[in-house]
Amino acid sequence: MSRPDPAFERTVRIFQWAIAGSTLVFISSIVLWIVHLIRTAWSLGDVPSASIGISLVAIPVFLTLLGVGLSVFWGLLRGGGPR
Amino acid sequence: MACKAENNVPAVGAREAARGRTISWMHVLVEESEERTRFLPCPCLQCDDPPCTKVCPVYATYRNPEGIVAQVYARCIGCRFCMAACPYNAKYFNWLTYQKDAPGQNPDVSVRPKGVVEKCTFCHHRLQKARERARAERRELVAGDYVPACAEACPTRAIAFGDLSDESSDVARLARSPRAFRLGEALGTKPKVIYLVETEAHRRV
Amino acid sequence: MSDATLGRDAALLVPIVKTGRGFYVTVTILGLLIAWGAVAYWTQFDQGLGVTGLHQPVSWGFYVTNFVFFIGISHAGTLISAILRLTKAEWRRPITRMAEVITVMVLLIGAGQILIDLGRPDRLMNIFRYGRYQSPLLWDATSISAYFFASTVYLYLPLIPDIAILRDHLGGKRRFLYSVLAMGWTGTEHQQKILNRAIAILAVMVIPIAVSVHTVVSFVFSMTIQPMWHSTIFGPYFVAGAIFSGIAALIVAMGIIRRIYHFEAYLKPIHFRYLGYLLLVMTLLWFYLTFAEYLTGYYGSEPEEMKVFWSKFTGPFWPFFWAMVVCNLVIPLILLVRLRHHAVGKTVVASISVVIGMWLERFNIVVPTLSNPRLPFPEGQYWPTWIEWGETAGSFGLFILFYVIFVKLFPIISIWEIREGREVGVKEVEERLLTYLPDGAEPERAHDRAHDRARALT
Repeated sequence: MSRPDPAFERTVRIFQWAIAGSTLVFISSIVLWIVHLIRTAWSLGDVPSASIGISLVAIPVFLTLLGVGLSVFWGLLRGGGPR
Repeated sequence: MACKAENNVPAVGAREAARGRTISWMHVLVEESEERTRFLPCPCLQCDDPPCTKVCPVYATYRNPEGIVAQVYARCIGCRFCMAACPYNAKYFNWLTYQKDAPGQNPDVSVRPKGVVEKCTFCHHRLQKARERARAERRELVAGDYVPACAEACPTRAIAFGDLSDESSDVARLARSPRAFRLGEALGTKPKVIYLVETEAHRRV
Repeated sequence: MSDATLGRDAALLVPIVKTGRGFYVTVTILGLLIAWGAVAYWTQFDQGLGVTGLHQPVSWGFYVTNFVFFIGISHAGTLISAILRLTKAEWRRPITRMAEVITVMVLLIGAGQILIDLGRPDRLMNIFRYGRYQSPLLWDATSISAYFFASTVYLYLPLIPDIAILRDHLGGKRRFLYSVLAMGWTGTEHQQKILNRAIAILAVMVIPIAVSVHTVVSFVFSMTIQPMWHSTIFGPYFVAGAIFSGIAALIVAMGIIRRIYHFEAYLKPIHFRYLGYLLLVMTLLWFYLTFAEYLTGYYGSEPEEMKVFWSKFTGPFWPFFWAMVVCNLVIPLILLVRLRHHAVGKTVVASISVVIGMWLERFNIVVPTLSNPRLPFPEGQYWPTWIEWGETAGSFGLFILFYVIFVKLFPIISIWEIREGREVGVKEVEERLLTYLPDGAEPERAHDRAHDRARALT
C-alpha cells in the first residue's frame, strides 16, 4: 500500500466534509419547504389541519434522519484510529 | 357551439376525436327511454364540495368565493389528478397543442397551451366584465348583468342562470321546486347545476 | 486487515475488479432500451401527452401503473434488511445489500414516472412553490423523499466498512472515490459502536416510513370517490402487494447475480427457500386481501362498482385480470409449496411470475375504473402506444443499469457482515439459544460483544 499522501488525504477530507455539509443543506431545505407549505395553506385558509398533521410527523422524521447521518459523519471523521 | 366559440375551446380534429380526446365543456347527455328522449346539458356542475379541488397539488383549481370552481391554466402542471377524481368527467385535457393564438378567437379568454387541464367556468370572463362595468357605473352587480354563453344561446330558454344564494331569484325558486334534482346527489359533491324533471311523477331520487 | 481472511471472500470482489465481455454486452442492451425510452420521452415532451394512448376518460395509464409498481418494488429492501436485522436472523447476511440497492435505485425510477406523466414538467417548481398538503400527491412527495433519504442512508452506513476494505485493497483510479466514501473508517471499537447504533436506529425508523410510502400511494386512488377506488382496504392492500412484489424482485435479483457471478457459495438454496416461504405467505395474504375487496364489492352490488367489477371479470379487461390471478396465485402456489428440491429454480420462476402479476394488478386497479365513468361518456378502449412501451422499457433499463453500475463499484454481498457471521455470529446464536431454554444463562453484555467484533474485524 502506498504511503498516505497528505495532499490526497486533504482532498479526501474536503470531499467528505462536503458530503456531510450537503446532507445538512438538503434535509434542512426539505424541512423549510414543508414549513413553507404549511404557511401557504394557513394564509389561504385551505385546510391547514392536513398540513399541520403531516408536518408533525414528517419534520421529526427528517430531522432524525439528519441527526443520525450527521452523528455518524462526525463520529467517523473524528474517531479514526491508526490504519 | 356557443360555449366553444365563446371560450376558445379547440376543435381537436377528427383523428383526435376518434381517440376520445374531444374537448367539450358543455356536453349534452342523451337519455332514451320508451316514452321520451331527454337531453341533459352537462357543463361543469360547479360543486360546492368539489372532489377535483381537493386533490390538486398546486392550487391550480379551487373554489372561488363566488362558488365557481376556477381553473388557473398558468399554474396547472398537467398531473390530471382532478380529471381522475371528478365523478362527472367535467375536466378536459389538452393532449396536444390544439390551437395557437389566432384572429377570430375571443380575446377575453386565454388560449390554453398543451399539457393543461381546462373546464367550464360559467364564462367567468363575462362575470369579470360585468363587474368592471358595474364598478364603472358606480353600482352593485345585479342579477341579469351577465349570463354564460350557453344560457344566452339556448333557443328554448331551457337554461336559467342566476344567483343561487339570493333567495328571491328565479334560480333559487326553481331549485326549491319538488321537480329539482342534481346529478350524482348521493356522492356528496353538492353540485350547483340543478335539473328539473317534467312533473313530480317523474321525480328521480 | 488480514489478507488471509479476505482471501476466503476474495470472490466477492471479483465483480468490482474484473470487467468481462458480459458486462459490456449487458450495458449495451440496457443502453438501447434506455435510448428507446429517451426517444419516446423526447417525442412526448415535444408534442404533448397526446402521443400516448391516453384519452378521456382514461387519463391515467401506463405511467401511473409503473409508478405504483416501481414504488411497490422498493419495499424489498426494508422488509428483508430492516426486519431481518431487527429479528437478528442470521440468514440475511448475503442478502441485505442486494435488497437495499433495489430500494434506492427503484425509488428514483418510481418517482421519475410521475414526472414523466406530467403534462407540464417545465412547471415542476410549482409543486415546491405552491404545493397543497391537502392533495395526496404532496403526501406522496413527502413520504417518498423521506423513504429515499432513509434508505440511501440505510444503504450507505453498512456499506462503509466494505468501502474501507476496497480502499485498502484496491489501487487504481477508484481509490479516491473509495477514500472519500469510507469516511475515515478504520474499524475501531468507537466507530463500530457509532455505526451499529445508527444502523439499529435506522432499521427501526425505516419500517414505518416504508409502510407510509405505499399507503399514501394508495391514497392517491382511495381518496377519490370513483367506483372500486374508494375502498378502505387500499392502504393495507397496497402495502401487502408492495412487500409481495418486493420479495419477488429480490429473489429475481438474487437468482441473476448468483448465476452471473458464480456466488453459489454465498447465495445458497436455503436463502432462496426461506425467501420462497415468505413469498408463499405473501401470495396467500395478497389473495386474501384481493378476495375480501372483490367479495365486498360484489355483495354490495352497487351499480357503478358492479360495472367496473364485471369489466374486470368478464368484460374487456378479463385477460389482464385472470392473467394476474394465475401469475400471482396459481403459479406461486404450485411452485412454492414444496421447496426441498430445486429451491433456487422454483423460487426464481415463481418470482418472475409474481413480478408480472403485480404489474398487471396495478394496471387492473388504474385503468378499469377510469374506463367506466359514472355518467354515460363516449367510451373508448385504452391502447398504449410505442411511447408508453418505450418509456416502460427505458425505465426498467435505467433501473437495471443503475443496479449494474452499483455492482461494478461496490460489493453486492456485504463482506464484513459475512465475516461477522462467521466469527461472531455462531457464538452469539448459540448463546442466545441457550437463554431461550429453561436452564440457560443471561446473554453476554453488548459491549463485550462489540469488543469481540472489533477484534475479529481489524
